Amino acid sequence: MAVQMLEVHDLHVFRGATHVLKGISLDVREGEMAALIGANGAGKSTTLQTLSGLLRPRSGTAVFRGTSGPVDLTRAAPERIVGEGLVQSPEGRQIFQSLSVAENLAMGAYLRTDRNEVRRTLERVHDLFPILKERASAAGGTLSGGEQMMLAIGRALLAQPRLLLLDEPSLGLAPQMIERIFDVIATLKQQGTTILLVEQNAAMALDIADRAYVLENGVITLSGTGPELAGNDRVRRAYLGMAQ
Amino acid sequence: MSQYVFQQIINGLALGSLYALVAIGFSMIYGIVRLINFAHGDLVMIGAFTTLALVGYGVPWPLILMFVLLVGALAGMTIEATVFRPMRGAQQVTGFIATLAVSIVIQNTGLMILSGQPRNFLFPAFMRQRVQIGTVSASLTDLTIIGLTVVLIALLLVIVYRTRLGTAMRATADNLAAARLMGIAVNRTILTAFAIGSALAAAAGLLWGGKFGQIDPLLGFAPGLKAFIACVIGGVGSIGGAMLGGYLLGLAEVLFVGLLPPQFAGYRDVFVFTLLIVILLLKPSGLFVRHVEERA
Repeated sequence: MAVQMLEVHDLHVFRGATHVLKGISLDVREGEMAALIGANGAGKSTTLQTLSGLLRPRSGTAVFRGTSGPVDLTRAAPERIVGEGLVQSPEGRQIFQSLSVAENLAMGAYLRTDRNEVRRTLERVHDLFPILKERASAAGGTLSGGEQMMLAIGRALLAQPRLLLLDEPSLGLAPQMIERIFDVIATLKQQGTTILLVEQNAAMALDIADRAYVLENGVITLSGTGPELAGNDRVRRAYLGMAQ
Repeated sequence: MSQYVFQQIINGLALGSLYALVAIGFSMIYGIVRLINFAHGDLVMIGAFTTLALVGYGVPWPLILMFVLLVGALAGMTIEATVFRPMRGAQQVTGFIATLAVSIVIQNTGLMILSGQPRNFLFPAFMRQRVQIGTVSASLTDLTIIGLTVVLIALLLVIVYRTRLGTAMRATADNLAAARLMGIAVNRTILTAFAIGSALAAAAGLLWGGKFGQIDPLLGFAPGLKAFIACVIGGVGSIGGAMLGGYLLGLAEVLFVGLLPPQFAGYRDVFVFTLLIVILLLKPSGLFVRHVEERA
């Protein structure tokens, strides 16, 4: 029986007067990779921002099994949520442009006090992305788009996530780079990191996810295993660009 | 070098030091919360009057400096926590007006408590002697201003560029949302930026009194405005730019007066502000900033 890492129930979120999430429910089990797919504006990033504590829901529950026990994501401060192990690599990478690559990574480990452990995580990140070691003293803003994506993921890994939220890692990257990033994501999963992947690129996401949810206009309309959804007619037409 | 030119340069560096101390905090605050803080100059006044009061009690100068830094930091933190924080997320113009309001409240509270009568403010007598350096000499007051400023700026740079808290401050200034996602308690880093910036402004107040000999509750206006100009010259939001902009402004003011024919001396602001316009035409984002990105 798999342990639930994240349980979201009937979550309603507003942005100003706009009702963006209209009662979504989803869960992520320990060790799995779940995917949330949907078109632009469906509410994917809103979901992740709410889980990270940057937005507060109007109603509903969101509970994360953190390091020290269950965390109510609808109330906890963002820094507490990170400290408990729910870490997000945000949409558009959002690296610190004026900070060096090394400083960006150090900020990922901001809440950690165990220097030796941090050094070990840093070595692991350097193994995954050797370019981040080579360019350690370069300003983040001088990296290419793909390198910035690696930095964004590396920075999130330095926070030692129990659950890693990845928001659109394929956004704006060349196809080759997308493939590399997805290889790394698959590796992370193999190494035991639980992942919630948010993607517009449904084909790639369904290919590597264990389970997936389809978000449309703030409502979850479909869910199932990756292969189930990849075989679903509606998904094929709407998200995989396949004529029937 | 003639004594006259040397004296002008020392003068300009001393004035530039005061501008730089105020401008750095101004720039730090803008950098982290995108707030043009017109109350920042009033911290100079608070620092100056704190100094005056402590001198009255016979407190030794090194302790006065510590205390002034502390009072400045606490005042800046109080303003941030009680006025600016609740307005975070509001339109930029709201914050801007709020800083003007805070400035007027501080100035008028000063007038109520202290009266508008200027007070004499004197460094100890030995500070007024001149130091002979080869064939030229400079006042010990000016040299102290320059020296202390260098020490304070060095300390600031170590904090901002060599500590975890400083890196978190820069990260918050760079991308606030990302900083929150890294677990940085951004209200705390913003508070720290206000504390450090305001402490420097208060220290400038201590030195300001020493240089000009008189203080009054409205004295914060000039350094606040000059700090703003120094930041614009150097590139708003950049600490190095604010520092260099402060020194450039101080030197320009003094050298225009010192080197132009005497009949122009009363109109130095014409030259200073013409220079500002020329700089803005040539380099709108500031002299010492390589590129500027507007954050949405």
